[in-house]
Amino acid sequence: MSEIEKIRVELTVNGKHHVLYVSPCKTLLEVLREDLNLIGTKRGCDDSNCGVCTVLVNGQAIKSCTMLIPLANGCDITTIEGLEREGGLHPLQQAFIDRFAVQCGYCTPAMILTAKAILDENPNASEEEIRDGLHGNLCRCTGYTKIMEAILDVRDGKYKESCGEV
Amino acid sequence: MANLIGKSEKRIDGYDKVTGKGLYASDYYNQFPHMAYIKAFRSPYAHAKIKKIDYTKAKALPGVIYILTGYEDVRWDDFPKMAIIAKDEVLWAGQAIALIAAETEEIAEDAVKLIDCEFEVLPFVSDYYEAIKPDPVSVIDPEYETRAQGFQDRPADRATNRVSPNIVGAYYMHTGDLEQGFKEADIIMEDEFSVGKKTASPLEPATAICKYEPDGGLTMISNGAGVHGVIKEHICRVLGMPESKVRVIQPYMGGSFGSRLSPYVELQTALMAMRIKRNVSYRFTRKEVFTAGPSNWSCTTKVKMGAKNDGTIIAHDYYLCEEIGACVNNTFFSGRLSSSGAAPCYRFPNMRMDTFAVATNTVPAAEYRGLGCPEAEWGIEIMVNRLAEKLKMSPVDIRLKNIIDPGERDIYGEVITSIGLKKCLLGVNEVIKVEEKPVQDGSVWKRGKGCAVAGKQNTPLGRSEAKVWYNSDGTIQLFISCDENGMGATTAMGQICANEFGVDLKDVKVIKGDTLCTPYDNYSASSRTTYNTGNAVMIACADCINKLKTEVARVYGLNPKNVEIKGKKAILKGTYVQEVDIPPLFKHWTMFTQGNWGLQQYSPVVGYGVYCPAPIHQWGPDGKSDRVWNWFQYSACAVEVAVNEETGVVKVVKIASSADTGNPINPEIVKSQIQGGVHMAIGFTTMEEHLYDEKGAQSNANFSDYRLPTIGEMPTNENVFALINPDPLPDGPYGAKGMAESITVPVGPAIEEAIYQAVGVRLNYYPMTAERVLAAIKEKKAREAAK
Ligand code: FES
Ligand code: FES
Repeated sequence: MSEIEKIRVELTVNGKHHVLYVSPCKTLLEVLREDLNLIGTKRGCDDSNCGVCTVLVNGQAIKSCTMLIPLANGCDITTIEGLEREGGLHPLQQAFIDRFAVQCGYCTPAMILTAKAILDENPNASEEEIRDGLHGNLCRCTGYTKIMEAILDVRDGKYKESCGEV
Repeated sequence: MANLIGKSEKRIDGYDKVTGKGLYASDYYNQFPHMAYIKAFRSPYAHAKIKKIDYTKAKALPGVIYILTGYEDVRWDDFPKMAIIAKDEVLWAGQAIALIAAETEEIAEDAVKLIDCEFEVLPFVSDYYEAIKPDPVSVIDPEYETRAQGFQDRPADRATNRVSPNIVGAYYMHTGDLEQGFKEADIIMEDEFSVGKKTASPLEPATAICKYEPDGGLTMISNGAGVHGVIKEHICRVLGMPESKVRVIQPYMGGSFGSRLSPYVELQTALMAMRIKRNVSYRFTRKEVFTAGPSNWSCTTKVKMGAKNDGTIIAHDYYLCEEIGACVNNTFFSGRLSSSGAAPCYRFPNMRMDTFAVATNTVPAAEYRGLGCPEAEWGIEIMVNRLAEKLKMSPVDIRLKNIIDPGERDIYGEVITSIGLKKCLLGVNEVIKVEEKPVQDGSVWKRGKGCAVAGKQNTPLGRSEAKVWYNSDGTIQLFISCDENGMGATTAMGQICANEFGVDLKDVKVIKGDTLCTPYDNYSASSRTTYNTGNAVMIACADCINKLKTEVARVYGLNPKNVEIKGKKAILKGTYVQEVDIPPLFKHWTMFTQGNWGLQQYSPVVGYGVYCPAPIHQWGPDGKSDRVWNWFQYSACAVEVAVNEETGVVKVVKIASSADTGNPINPEIVKSQIQGGVHMAIGFTTMEEHLYDEKGAQSNANFSDYRLPTIGEMPTNENVFALINPDPLPDGPYGAKGMAESITVPVGPAIEEAIYQAVGVRLNYYPMTAERVLAAIKEKKAREAAK
């Protein structure tokens, strides 16, 4: 693997433009964690089954452990580090705290990003639609009930800002 | 400052975790230079002799640093070496044979493939039935010395006195007169029950980073449990290192559920670091989480109960066997732990328990949320439901008739000081109304309801210490070493501390899990943290407050009795002021004072607390004692399920679960534990199970084939009811006790009963997968057709 030539990749991550020279065998997850030090994106299985590596790629929730870096070239990526703003937390982040939707927290960044993708696409998503959207994100601790409560609170406008534009 | 106990304060780790700023073990990778990475060469066979092994090619690969094998000279002491590395013989598929350290993970992986190993495949034992049959294959070949400590020749079957080489321990208990009990019974029912093997599967795989210190010591950062009582202790013992040179740090943990109490990855990494004198890391793959261990231990039980017509259960003959995998690790296996699940709920005036544990050539078992109680109580709760049906009683009434009341003694002879189980049961029944038939919609989805209850003992597990600093600006620091697997313990400890001082939670900074500065705690297990560490925190706070009172009293020439501390203020009695701010009493040192007495700025007033529960009392030949356990947590669960009679798929559509937590410190955190607990139990009772191939290797060691429950398996929010029905624990901090384990226990038997009510089939085995339910439905139809 070390003999494979590096390729040039351009990524916009959390609004910041990056030019990177990396092995084409690397996954987006590895590049985010190892090359960009964005360690808020986690790793739990490597075969697209746990969802803790989820990030937004052009607004879509994508499991970064199975996206090879050439595929992400030119993409606009949002990780959990990109959600907090100057004025405070993103509504979903605040709602996760307020609703006790966090235990060990290992699934949390991915859950929040997936929820953001769901609500960005459909701000009035029903509980059923949100359940469908969260289907690929495992949580071992919370039983999902409080995660759903948090997302519904944001959907229902309990927080001043609506979900969206980060 | 209002009372903080029973208030749902926001978690103190919430911000760190929703922003991705909180660090987990694997997030430290980038911080260590000159790191070596470990990969393991593992056995593909369940049981084999290592005939020949050749590392030459692997060693020659550029970038390979060291290959560690079972032939290393290591002082294993009483740790099962085989759990870390094999020698001569492999005992399960997944056991490490060689650990390779290389400059990168990829090189280490390549080197694994270059190891040339010749095996002589030996017959293996993969389940309980094979392990105890007459003249069974021996899990450990008698030719080898790998026979672990703990293996003893015990009669596998007391009746025939037949000895199996695979038995590792046994326990026997009887109370009352069993024979007489059965004579007096109006009905007697019996059956045999069993369950599959499962892996706790925290989402963060086991990870350890070991920093090699220039003084020959090491600093370990891992997501393992028990910085002092598990990791440091084992590193010192096995590696023979001085305590002064071992530091263990536990950052945020991505879950444990008991599985991270086995320090495999930590010992492997530490051994390697000391060999190569470099920073070393080892991160299990998901496959290794399954096959390198640990799993839970499954149990097979035989339950025979006799009851009077009024529902009083008067005789219970109970047999249990734990199936523990290939070696005895740092748990005690004799069936005693699991069978404790038979004790806390019901009176059982005449009872016999005959329990033991048996090894198999599968991944070594260890703690998994509930410590064998979900497995042990599965058959008991099903039997109680069946008795109720036979006696035409409600499953609620039969339980109310037999559940122990506070102050009564359990089967061991212990006094039960706190039991809120009846309230829990009535609570969940109010939601689900199990006595009322569910509405059927005429589709293939048949509805049914069921309920069950559970208790789980708390084992006294040693000492918890806490240290508290009252700083000169009035802020407070709490130092503790309990684990924070995610359950919210640090928030609860912070609340207790803040409450003692009368300050807001935000004024207390909790420092946790670093052996360099946080005092001793064994580990968080058996739901002990709130109780054990919580008591230590209260004692430490009292110590600090007393010292502070003494100092303030000196300033004002008072007896400390006349000083009260309320956060940053002291309330004084009998002098010229009634209330003073404390921080200004801390004086800056000067040349003329040297600061050698009294309160000095930047020098905190320190409190210290130690809490140890009373020791247990050795039981007699009848297995009885007035103190076997510490206290009991309780839960009840009621469900409504829909069963597809054409596919066998079971959906839990509504669930109510109630916990007797003692007085909850933080009710919302408790509710989140309840919801997480029932979800985990829905997973392991309807979906999760290890499957094996013909070599005896686990064939579903990944998340594609070993399916964990998703949000789809949880009922929708309006159909999830998490209730708290406390009975305060007299010796708990503010009457609190632990609660995270018993929650999972009654879910399976409640679902089983609901399936029966829906489609008329009984299941004795979980997971109750669609295949199994469908097979039972077909069998029932065939039986009916034959009639
Ligand atoms: S790491 Fe599990 S889905 Fe990506
Ligand atoms: S909070 Fe632990 S996995 Fe979701």
